[in-house]
Amino acid sequence: MVELLAQTGLNAIYAAAYMSLIAVGLVLVFGVLGVINFAHGELFMIGAYVVVAIYADFQMPYVLAAAAALVFVGAVGILMERTMFGPLRDNPLGGLVASIGFLLILQALVSVQFGVRMEHVPPVTQDVIVISEKVRLPVQRLAVIIASIVFLSLLWIFLRKSKFGWALRASAQDREAASLQGISITRISIIAMFIGGALAGIAGALTAPLISVNPHMGHSVIVAAFIVIIVGGVGSLEGAVVASIAYAFVHTIITTFWDGVIADIVGLALMLAVLIIKPTGLFGTADRA
Amino acid sequence: MFANFLGKSQTRRKFLGSASAFAGFSALSSALPGRALAQGEPIKIGFLAPLTGPVAGWGKPGLDGVQIWAEWVNAAGGINVGGESRMFEFISYDNEYDPSKARTGATKLIQEDGVKFIMMLGGDTWAGVQPVADRTGMLFSTLLNSDLGPETTTLLAPAESHPVYNVTGVEWMAENYPDLKTAVMCAQEDALGLPSVATYLAAFEAAGIEMLEDPILFDWETTDFAPIVTRMLSSDPDIVSLDTCYPDYVHPIMEQLFQQGYSGQVISCTADFYGQIIEKTSVEFVEGMIFQFPDFDDPAMNQDFINFQNPNKFWEVYNERYPGQWGAVSWEYASIMDIWSAAAVEAGSVEPDDVLSTLLASGTGKHAFGDASWWGEDLFGVDHTLLGNWPVVRIEGGKARIKEFRSVPAWYDKHGEILKKHMRAYGQMPDQR
Repeated sequence: MVELLAQTGLNAIYAAAYMSLIAVGLVLVFGVLGVINFAHGELFMIGAYVVVAIYADFQMPYVLAAAAALVFVGAVGILMERTMFGPLRDNPLGGLVASIGFLLILQALVSVQFGVRMEHVPPVTQDVIVISEKVRLPVQRLAVIIASIVFLSLLWIFLRKSKFGWALRASAQDREAASLQGISITRISIIAMFIGGALAGIAGALTAPLISVNPHMGHSVIVAAFIVIIVGGVGSLEGAVVASIAYAFVHTIITTFWDGVIADIVGLALMLAVLIIKPTGLFGTADRA
Repeated sequence: MFANFLGKSQTRRKFLGSASAFAGFSALSSALPGRALAQGEPIKIGFLAPLTGPVAGWGKPGLDGVQIWAEWVNAAGGINVGGESRMFEFISYDNEYDPSKARTGATKLIQEDGVKFIMMLGGDTWAGVQPVADRTGMLFSTLLNSDLGPETTTLLAPAESHPVYNVTGVEWMAENYPDLKTAVMCAQEDALGLPSVATYLAAFEAAGIEMLEDPILFDWETTDFAPIVTRMLSSDPDIVSLDTCYPDYVHPIMEQLFQQGYSGQVISCTADFYGQIIEKTSVEFVEGMIFQFPDFDDPAMNQDFINFQNPNKFWEVYNERYPGQWGAVSWEYASIMDIWSAAAVEAGSVEPDDVLSTLLASGTGKHAFGDASWWGEDLFGVDHTLLGNWPVVRIEGGKARIKEFRSVPAWYDKHGEILKKHMRAYGQMPDQR
């Protein structure tokens, strides 16, 4: 039983790691732009396909492919801001609808270019850290955990220590006041979309060798990401990380000891409970709820 | 119509190679028209299956295969129906494995395209299509005989009798590896997974293999299989059954089994694209995996009782055109068309009623894996499954090898009541669906 609990804990840490990357990006975009980006799951998918193209198809180094995914998907985020969210800045519903349309476009483009079938991504390494006979941590999964910690730490430092980070946080708190202080909302929105896209892209790139890569894979993460940001508090980066960890542990433990379908139901019930008891989420503030 | 087949991966050279391969397609020759026959309208056949989404792996490869079949038959002049030479034209509709889209597709194929027969994967999508079948009397085929019931009067399962044939793999494994005594299982919770779960449970019970816990059912959206594999391995099973998981699930589950240190027996309905599984794990890890779908270059496919025409050449052309994409369904829709076209020739008609009555008239048919009988009354309330032998396949040295063709009806005669018990427990009997 101890080994089962330990392996379950490792599984949950991995799930929390990549879910945090996705959820934090989604929260950041909502906080700054005020838009619910339904295409965020597809940005995750694009990141995985960059790895398919560069690492699996062209057989270039995986690290290069992951870096390219980060930059490319960040650029896709900028494209979304310039073509959709920017022009629709005063129309949050319009941004939401546009993101749904963009989601379908991304799926179609990937389907046309790569086909609809599952893509094969060779393992980067098959090394496994054997803690005991039944407690093992594949190095690929460890890399996802470490990379997530590194990227989230860098984001935290950027937001707390840099001029752009301060401006970004100010815009997230009160866009009008920030604008009156001379902060360019357009520039900040572009930065937020780049970071949000890049985080989703790197999450897709990191997990591509570990999951089934297909044009519809974004669906599977976006529901969980929305649960996480609602529980954590819409607009709260800290809340997204804490909720990701909580959700990953709850979901993994229930899947392991009971049932995966029940785990999904519990996740949704958790979200409903938070909405009823504390509609702002665990770390959210009333003006963003 | 040929232009439709010349996609970007299809060169003129390849096409001519495929067409020339038809020279060896001898057994259909009796059905092929002579030069003096009048040229009739092309026969339009509907292909209503998932071509996108997570189940596309059991749709698109089948469409690819049936298009090779059409090229071969059309290159030889089509078939002789009532004194007319008739070519084939396939019209596909992507139902995305969604019942409502399947219903829309069936209606469109019948009313707008004027098809004479519709091939489906079945499963969850059949529920959407059945009202259309009832209303129009269109003849449909499914790969899942678990779709059948007394009310499915125009639905046939002529090629794949999923999930019933899965019993042959378990039976063969139990006879050849009697030390394997305990098992665990996981499956997605849907119309493909659940009847297969019931079938594996029956097969394990009949073979004296103990289930260590109830089958683990998971949601469609599952991407991380580590928790499921951790739980399965926690009870130290001799056997892990992957039921009829989709390829998108089989691969990550196999990778997790490998990474979490499992070294026991794996049995699965399918192991599509198993070369990729080997690349994700190792030849040694996949060695001995048992499943139910052979490669058609297998020497065992050249035995006299095999009715699928020129399987080695079909495999060669398919893999030349779609490298690494051979899967469970690559040959199945072509096999269905062999059976359907033979009936149309015999009936002298392509009308659904005529073909259906001709197909069922003798009670027997030429299944791809040998002569078989229309079966299913006892389990599904209708004899609409063409059932006989089914291959047991084992991966040896990184290559799928047929170990034996086993009789499914013979197993059912001995253990049918066990299967019915488990089908009922999972709500899969016709009166429960």
